[in-house]
Amino acid sequence: MNVFDDIQFYLFNHHHYIDEPADADRYDSTWVDYPNGKFDAEVAHELYQRWTREMLLAEELGFDAIAVNEHHQTIYSMQPATSVRAAYLAALTKRVKILVAGVPINLSWPSRVAEEYAMLDVMSNGRMEYGFPLGTGMEYWSNAGQLNPTTARARFRENLSIILKTWTEDGPVRHDGEFYNYRFLNVWPRPMQKPYPKIYIVGSGSQETVDVATDFRAGYSIVFTPIEQQLKAMANYREAAESKGWTVQPDDTIFTVIAYVADTDEEAVREARPHIEKFFSWFHRVPPQFLSPPGYVSRSEYLRRAQSAALADGTRATWDDMVSIGRIICGSPDTVADTLSHWAQEAQCSRMLMVLQHGDMPEWKAVKNMHMFAKEVIPRVRARSSSGEAAKVLAGVK
Amino acid sequence: MASYREERFDLRGIETVVQIAGEGEPLVFLHGAGTVTGFDALLPLAERFKLIVPFHPGFGPSADDTTVDDIHDYRRHYLDLFDELGLAEMALAGHSMGGWLAANFAADHTERVTRLVLAAPFGMRVEEHPTTDFLAIPGDQLPPYLTADMSIFEGHVPMPPTPEFLADRYRESTSAARLMWTRPYDLKLHRWLHRLRMPTLILWGDADRLIPVEQAAVWSDLIPDAEVRTLPGVGHLMFDESREAVDALGSFVGEGLTV
Repeated sequence: MNVFDDIQFYLFNHHHYIDEPADADRYDSTWVDYPNGKFDAEVAHELYQRWTREMLLAEELGFDAIAVNEHHQTIYSMQPATSVRAAYLAALTKRVKILVAGVPINLSWPSRVAEEYAMLDVMSNGRMEYGFPLGTGMEYWSNAGQLNPTTARARFRENLSIILKTWTEDGPVRHDGEFYNYRFLNVWPRPMQKPYPKIYIVGSGSQETVDVATDFRAGYSIVFTPIEQQLKAMANYREAAESKGWTVQPDDTIFTVIAYVADTDEEAVREARPHIEKFFSWFHRVPPQFLSPPGYVSRSEYLRRAQSAALADGTRATWDDMVSIGRIICGSPDTVADTLSHWAQEAQCSRMLMVLQHGDMPEWKAVKNMHMFAKEVIPRVRARSSSGEAAKVLAGVK
Repeated sequence: MASYREERFDLRGIETVVQIAGEGEPLVFLHGAGTVTGFDALLPLAERFKLIVPFHPGFGPSADDTTVDDIHDYRRHYLDLFDELGLAEMALAGHSMGGWLAANFAADHTERVTRLVLAAPFGMRVEEHPTTDFLAIPGDQLPPYLTADMSIFEGHVPMPPTPEFLADRYRESTSAARLMWTRPYDLKLHRWLHRLRMPTLILWGDADRLIPVEQAAVWSDLIPDAEVRTLPGVGHLMFDESREAVDALGSFVGEGLTV
């Protein structure tokens, strides 16, 4: 057995709203307060169609799963109701798993998330997986003030415990908590997968999210951060789990990888670079105020971020910076497969969440990238499985 | 000029720091939602009174108390502190968020407050003249809302601001957000101001861009024995900007002593 025996590839698509206005420079932010008068439903409809084509192509090309997520009030994502999107995709697919990663549970009632997610699992015949994010700082600015960021983390924990309680304990049960009080917690339907679908805590590497994941024996999925940070967080997660008496398995962690594959390294960079740069400079244009509403992080975490702002802020980072810190991987099939395999090996992680459509990339490039990845990279990585290695040895013997 | 001495109290396990200067009748000053400029501007008051400036939980050198998250938690926190300080009666002043706290304390404990000063108090919902929602303003754009005179930040704000400085501001915003994130005003405040039967001074700078001076009339209409004093050309951080504001506070409190 090795980490490659069960390696699985998830196709993730941001569902960007692509329509950069001529006066784009006027805006400090494409989140929270970017004026929604700029929204054009015709443009968005075409884009939903396109994102659907790409998600369905993933099933055709042999990806193991597709993944959707949720953000609010931003051109970055047209998925403010991720369960709605997941239901649509579940109806159009047969084989792939669907990772919903996911509703920032603080934005909903925990019982309602438990119901929606159970419903999806039953309707999809048990193909669902769920990632639980705290929600970015921006989501707290984009929602009612009743959702206070100073209590976000405590609320998140209680929320998660309620969802798992109602999925695992036969109801009705009572819940008397700090944030929620249920007299009859008794969701219907309940999930098809027992005891419940695979779950991941979505984090950016902070100790707080690692603690939640290990306390709840959940998987851990890392959002876009430099690869060194992802590797460090996974090591930290692994260690924390051991200290709590359980052992992380290869499918308990998910890497997030921004990638582009072409025949050569040069061609890959040439084709992808302007779109990836656009991703950071336009789609992910977020001022610090929105990233960290008051109390969303502790003073010490805020200080850590303030001290490393140059690195964390993709808007200002150069292409070379981003490549060198491993935020993105562009290259030939060998380059991409070798790098991914190295990371999988090092982190003992068998789940790769692939972002293959970037910023304002035209459809032909995204589709070509998906084909290249599925036909050239996936087989190269899978060849490192124990049976693949055995075949190589046999071939060598001949 | 007098200077502060610092006293520390353990309240419910939370360290609370109080600055005290001068001798005489006690005058307690409750500060607003930030402590950047400190409270030296108030020191002339220590020539006549025992000036007592406590740091709220989660502000300045006082420790964080995440359970202090509504106006009545603050009120009870100050009941604890005033008992520790042996203050049966006091003149009470509050600025901005501290004005809101002072009004609440005085409404619930009228017997302990001899005279009340509300300096550009936060908390009133006035639709025609709304309070600026300072939590929604990026930190680097906030100073012009706070003052008409940028020189008051000299010596208090490093340029450019250091990560440590920004983290301290973030922590104080967090403490304020516990109280004010849900809504930046108090929906029930106006229903209880009739209880403020002590002589009350409402002090306001007419160049206040955070809480408009027009709100002064709303407060004075609701408080039985209130006088309004407006300070021309003065912004929200009135005591840093204007010696006149400090003197107005002092002479109003002093009037109570000479009667």
